[in-house]
Amino acid sequence: MNNSKKISLYKTKALLKDQRILLGLVIVLLIVVVGCINSKFVRLSNITAIFQQISVLGILTMAMAMLLISGGIDLSIGNMMVLSGVLVGTIITNGGSLSVAIIAGIAVSTVCGLVNGIIIAKSKCMPLIITLGTSQIFFGISLLIAGGSFINFQKKLDFMRTIQLFNFLPLMVIFMLIIVLIMYLLLNKTKFGRRIVAIGGNEKNAYLSGIKVDLYKIITYSISGAIVGLAGLIFAARLNAITANAGSGYELDALVAAVIGGVTFEGGRGTVLGAFLGCLLTGIISNALDILGVHAYIKIVITGLIIVTAVVLSNIENARKKQ
Amino acid sequence: MSVDTTNTVPLIKMQGIIKEFPGVRALSNITFDVKKGEVHCLVGENGAGKSTLMKILSGAYTPTAGSIFINGKEYSALTPALSQELGIDIVYQENDLVPTMNAVENIFVGKEITKPGGFVDFKAMLTKVENLMEQYRIHIDPLQTIEKMSVADQQFVKILKALMKESKLLIMDEPTSMFNVEDAEKVLSLVRNISEKGISIIYISHFLKEVVQIADRITVIRDGSVIRTYDNSSKNVSINDITNDMVGRPVDMFYQKEPCNIGDIMFEVKDLKLTKESPSVSFSVRKGEILGVFGMVGSGRTEIMRAISGADRRYSGDFYLNGQKLNIKNPRDSIKAGIAHITEDRQRLGLTLNLSVLENILMVGLQNMKRSLFYDYKRMGADVEPIVKKLRIKTPSVMQQVLYLSGGNQQKVVLGKWLYANQSVYIFDEPTRGIDVGAKAEFYKQITELAHAGNCIIMVSSDMPELISMSDRVLVVRDGAIKCELTKEEINEQTIIKEALGVKEHE
Repeated sequence: MNNSKKISLYKTKALLKDQRILLGLVIVLLIVVVGCINSKFVRLSNITAIFQQISVLGILTMAMAMLLISGGIDLSIGNMMVLSGVLVGTIITNGGSLSVAIIAGIAVSTVCGLVNGIIIAKSKCMPLIITLGTSQIFFGISLLIAGGSFINFQKKLDFMRTIQLFNFLPLMVIFMLIIVLIMYLLLNKTKFGRRIVAIGGNEKNAYLSGIKVDLYKIITYSISGAIVGLAGLIFAARLNAITANAGSGYELDALVAAVIGGVTFEGGRGTVLGAFLGCLLTGIISNALDILGVHAYIKIVITGLIIVTAVVLSNIENARKKQ
Repeated sequence: MSVDTTNTVPLIKMQGIIKEFPGVRALSNITFDVKKGEVHCLVGENGAGKSTLMKILSGAYTPTAGSIFINGKEYSALTPALSQELGIDIVYQENDLVPTMNAVENIFVGKEITKPGGFVDFKAMLTKVENLMEQYRIHIDPLQTIEKMSVADQQFVKILKALMKESKLLIMDEPTSMFNVEDAEKVLSLVRNISEKGISIIYISHFLKEVVQIADRITVIRDGSVIRTYDNSSKNVSINDITNDMVGRPVDMFYQKEPCNIGDIMFEVKDLKLTKESPSVSFSVRKGEILGVFGMVGSGRTEIMRAISGADRRYSGDFYLNGQKLNIKNPRDSIKAGIAHITEDRQRLGLTLNLSVLENILMVGLQNMKRSLFYDYKRMGADVEPIVKKLRIKTPSVMQQVLYLSGGNQQKVVLGKWLYANQSVYIFDEPTRGIDVGAKAEFYKQITELAHAGNCIIMVSSDMPELISMSDRVLVVRDGAIKCELTKEEINEQTIIKEALGVKEHE
């Protein structure tokens, strides 16, 4: 009892200084301001649209956040996602059953993650460079399978969009929210999760504490791969078609979202909720700029400015400390 | 429980251990054992091989040859996992905690208590930690993240972590070197408590007084070999004998400093305030004078020095050199003004470990010289060579990476850097922390020479013999303020420690 109180008091204190609160406030402020300018923005249909738009990025951000917190990074997730999607599409167009296609899609990205993990854990090379390389490999394989053309999913994946909870939450959004929840529980509440946070915070110490660091890294990259496979399905469902080069850039968007959310390159630091809010913020900004009728080119400039501002702001305390 | 150290079977016996690194033989034929419930102290100069030997026990290193017997079973090498399984735990000198996690989580890293489904049971872990803290009378905030803790508290977390695992053997590597007197005493009584519970302890320390106070046996290691093992069951082994074994020559505890001619006031600090609320600090140093500064950990002595050298911002205050006001906003300004700051943390703040001795020594001085586009290594090597010779830096060549030098030699490189830059105000913060007796004496000689040459020296030190034998005057800092100033005649251990701890005299 006494302990629970202490823990909760401590958590309250920590929360007040938390980046998540800041991000939450920014998001609320943004919704209020844009909502006042154009009421379309706060309609339920638009809110659903925003969540639908970020469902792919949200899942990728979770994968990226987990890897960053564990001290790694994976820049191949964009092309990994597309490889998974391309495989699903090819199986469907060749008359394969949907369930086989889905299982194959998730399996291939899990294997991609596994391969990344094994190379990184065993070779001790920089994950940044390794995954830049494997990214090219995955892209190449996608091209080999798909050629340069579109693969059509024949609306087989439409259930992701059409099945809706309470008539406003599409399945793809539910999947994303479930992944966020699972990731939160995984990183905060489970032994596995706390160990990968420990590895990210101080790898040497984790090793000396008897943790099988290599194994944990491999598992982390594999989990990331599996999640990316799910993102691939949603990606395919949203567009009903895919090309081999459709996924490039997604890994960087996920990276940016996670960093806006307070996850750092150093590892061991950052939260799942923060990363998700980071992703939500980018989604809301993008949607708001559309609704306000901002020109597409200007939109890109503004998005860039917001990213830089957010990261600088979130790092101000750090910069002060280092002085 | 008193332990009969003569008849028990050793818990651990290391036999004929050899460890070679490329080009270096770190350990040659070491034989060493530890009995159950024994406090076995390991002493030796830095670089003697103590840490290497311990890393073999913890499984971090694989020995080149030799065997390890644990409970009579023979192993040719251990891994970290195996070593822990066998109940061996090491409290490292360097930081081995996860900075972003709190104390409880750090204590349980790799050993988490879980509820069904792999979920961590944080409350159970907290309760266990609090019980342990109570049992051993350790006071820390278990929910604080490590990066926000003092160095002393971090050390207690490490010890708690080891105790939680119910180890059979605890290796403590310089556990008190970062502590003030009070905390160090706590660690010593903790060590006694632990050994009374039947847990063996290997205790590595430079503080020989501590060692004699606490050890059942003392083993001296020099240059990778065991020189002698003393039976200290009656706690009366002579410190002089141990130091003789350590260096192979008698060592005077108090360095005999030659007197210098002290001139006019050279460097002055006026009304320095670190923050708006902090007390104002003023003092001055004369030409040729060594000003000692003493204070407990956390007293603010290091912060004052960092403000002077521009490493931290200050709220207000001015500095004067030979009557001229200095405009110091950052380290670059203070270097240009002629201030040298030999920081307390040489590895992190004083050196670039992956660069060579040459480049480290040139780091500051080169900026003041005429610039040319390319490094002329040959000419600069010739420039640096006299400094390496003068300081007797032991290195195969000036191109050797500083990383591979011993602590004492690294510290000499730091000094060499400032000598090359030819500064006039030298601030030493714990100049000889963690370096061996022989290197210390050489360091004192260098500091004295600097004073002789008409520079002024500010020397922050927790090493009482060092402070007393070197200083011409001592300032005692407590709570960020200068509490007293002692002239050469007034300097004595009792006064200094009382002022530093804030103990009032009653009679």
